[in-house]
Amino acid sequence: MAFGYHGCYLRVDVSTGVAKRIALDEATLRAYIGGSGLGVHLLLTEGAAHLDPLAPECPLVFAFSPLVGSPLTTSAKFAVVSKSPLTQRINDSLASSGFAVAGKGCGCDAIMIVGGAPELSVLVIDGDGVRLESATGYRGATCGETEQGLRERLGKPYRIASIGPAGEKQVRYSTISHDGRHAGRGGSGAVLGSKNIKAIAVRGTKRVEWAHPQELTDLSRSLSKRSLGPATAKYRELGTATNFVTFNRFGTLPTRNFQTGTFEEGAALSPEEMSATHPKVRKSCMSCTIGCEHIYALGKGKVRVEYESLFALGSLCGVSDPDAVLRASQRCDELGLDTISTGGTIAFAMECVERGWLSEPWLKFGDGEAMLRAIDLIGSREGLGDLLAEGSRRAAQVIGHNSISIAPQVKGLEIPGYEPRGLQTMALGFAVGPRGADHNRSGAYEVDFSDKVDRRNVTLEAVKHAIETEDRAALMDSLIVCKFLRGVFEDFFAEAADMLHCVTGWNATAAELRETARRIVEAKRKFNVLAGWTPEEDTLPERFLNTTLPNDPGASLSRERLQALVAEYHRQRADNDEALARRPSWPNRHLP
Amino acid sequence: MVVEFLGIPRQRAGVSELEIEAGTLGQLLSNLKRRFPSFAEFVVEDRLGPSLAANLNGDRFVSDPDTPLRAEDCVLILSADAGG
Repeated sequence: MAFGYHGCYLRVDVSTGVAKRIALDEATLRAYIGGSGLGVHLLLTEGAAHLDPLAPECPLVFAFSPLVGSPLTTSAKFAVVSKSPLTQRINDSLASSGFAVAGKGCGCDAIMIVGGAPELSVLVIDGDGVRLESATGYRGATCGETEQGLRERLGKPYRIASIGPAGEKQVRYSTISHDGRHAGRGGSGAVLGSKNIKAIAVRGTKRVEWAHPQELTDLSRSLSKRSLGPATAKYRELGTATNFVTFNRFGTLPTRNFQTGTFEEGAALSPEEMSATHPKVRKSCMSCTIGCEHIYALGKGKVRVEYESLFALGSLCGVSDPDAVLRASQRCDELGLDTISTGGTIAFAMECVERGWLSEPWLKFGDGEAMLRAIDLIGSREGLGDLLAEGSRRAAQVIGHNSISIAPQVKGLEIPGYEPRGLQTMALGFAVGPRGADHNRSGAYEVDFSDKVDRRNVTLEAVKHAIETEDRAALMDSLIVCKFLRGVFEDFFAEAADMLHCVTGWNATAAELRETARRIVEAKRKFNVLAGWTPEEDTLPERFLNTTLPNDPGASLSRERLQALVAEYHRQRADNDEALARRPSWPNRHLP
Repeated sequence: MVVEFLGIPRQRAGVSELEIEAGTLGQLLSNLKRRFPSFAEFVVEDRLGPSLAANLNGDRFVSDPDTPLRAEDCVLILSADAGG
């Protein structure tokens, strides 16, 4: 077995409590590395694409990586991979910190959970084995309460990943939380909730050997030093919230359910304004030198603020009251809700009310208290919340009036904070994304914010750039390292090969890892095909294709242009697949 | 012309915008480096380093130091990785 791995995954059936260690051969690990790549591969081997994601037999995978536990900065990360109950397509969400290290310390490279526990339970995995304990006392508890309570009960060496009330209620965009961070998108919390698992507690100290420890130490020092340089200054000093001001200035800040791209009251939500009234501190994930988390004081509590939460619960709902936005973000964290899908679905409902399609007159753009009420209703699935807990696509099907044309989603996943008409390479990234509209699996917005394209009028030239960002993300999510490091690397694929060499001993090259990245993207696409994907899914809602952005008349995206971009994307991907398939090294046998 | 700073460039400059004279992008960056020494870490010779980007009038992004600038132009300086 290669260095850096345990060479097996743990498959736990929570119906019976039986756990098995299943071997992973080195060729498979080299083909998919870990994290998202390994997780998708394991789902394919289980035939998960054909299953109802909320059925007991449908697996949920926590996947670690060869770099976990190493001194490489930002490497304490894990992926949660399953079929999404929101999109019915592949879903991989990432989170950070001690759960990754303790989970890998249990002597496995991934933990797969299948089955359904007889009562609400916590799955405990430690040096003594695997067992289920009752978690009925935590029914309705927030993510933070559950984590704190279980660490007091089990002991501090345990690391806890838990769901909140929203996961218990199987809200289709509920999260799995750990240490204040969330595997956030696509509803992995609902999948865990459907298995009657409130939390997973891991404690483990099994270490793996590294192939070249001294080289790894030297490389880690170099990377840590560079991670403190100008490429990460934005994250350290201001946090992602600073994007809010930038996007508003460029007219690409989604506002009032994507009706426009400029929020006239946006200044109140700038990090400079908010930090003047809400003192903040910085925090890092375990093993991270960047320290991107900006935690704002809120009454007696505190809340972590990111751009995506600020946009989704601020401008998208037309809310400019910082207190309301911070409270909403905090409430989503407590309930275990994805802030992007929560804000997107509420904003959609607000516009439906405005248009007279939904009789909930209290739910108005700009009303922070109404937004907070809606969040609580979603978390408990009471009243209107039961409909909104299904996400904007399913809600539109119930509301009718062709409201699907304004539902801000792709494949059912709500669109993050990038106005597609003004950022058209990103529009392509959204349309073709295997998990739906997503800014973490495609970094195509970077291309729009560069001199490579005209962001309001992109041509087919943009496609190769979009593919490059998608491939890079696939590799970063499988190694796993934080995307906030991306500006630190001069040649990410070459440096990734160096990291893998130090840890595993493989003489991997940049070219090999480019193939690996494409293979991982292809595996996601294969999963979706098996789950019923059709080419018609790779598009955007009608709103973006038949109306010009009101604040920017130059920003329009015709259906024909988007279709041409999507077609070119698939042509280039198919060429890649065929070229790879012709090579002897292409491990088709790994795609079951 | 007007220069607008967003994000980290605003932190370094200490102002959100200023008026300045320059005939090209390269001249502008040299002027900014002289005026704001803490800005220097982001400028390599007469080009912006990879962590920052320059945009002309909210329309196109520019990087060539010979890019001509007019008195009525507005140059925005921002972090290159604009996403979250």
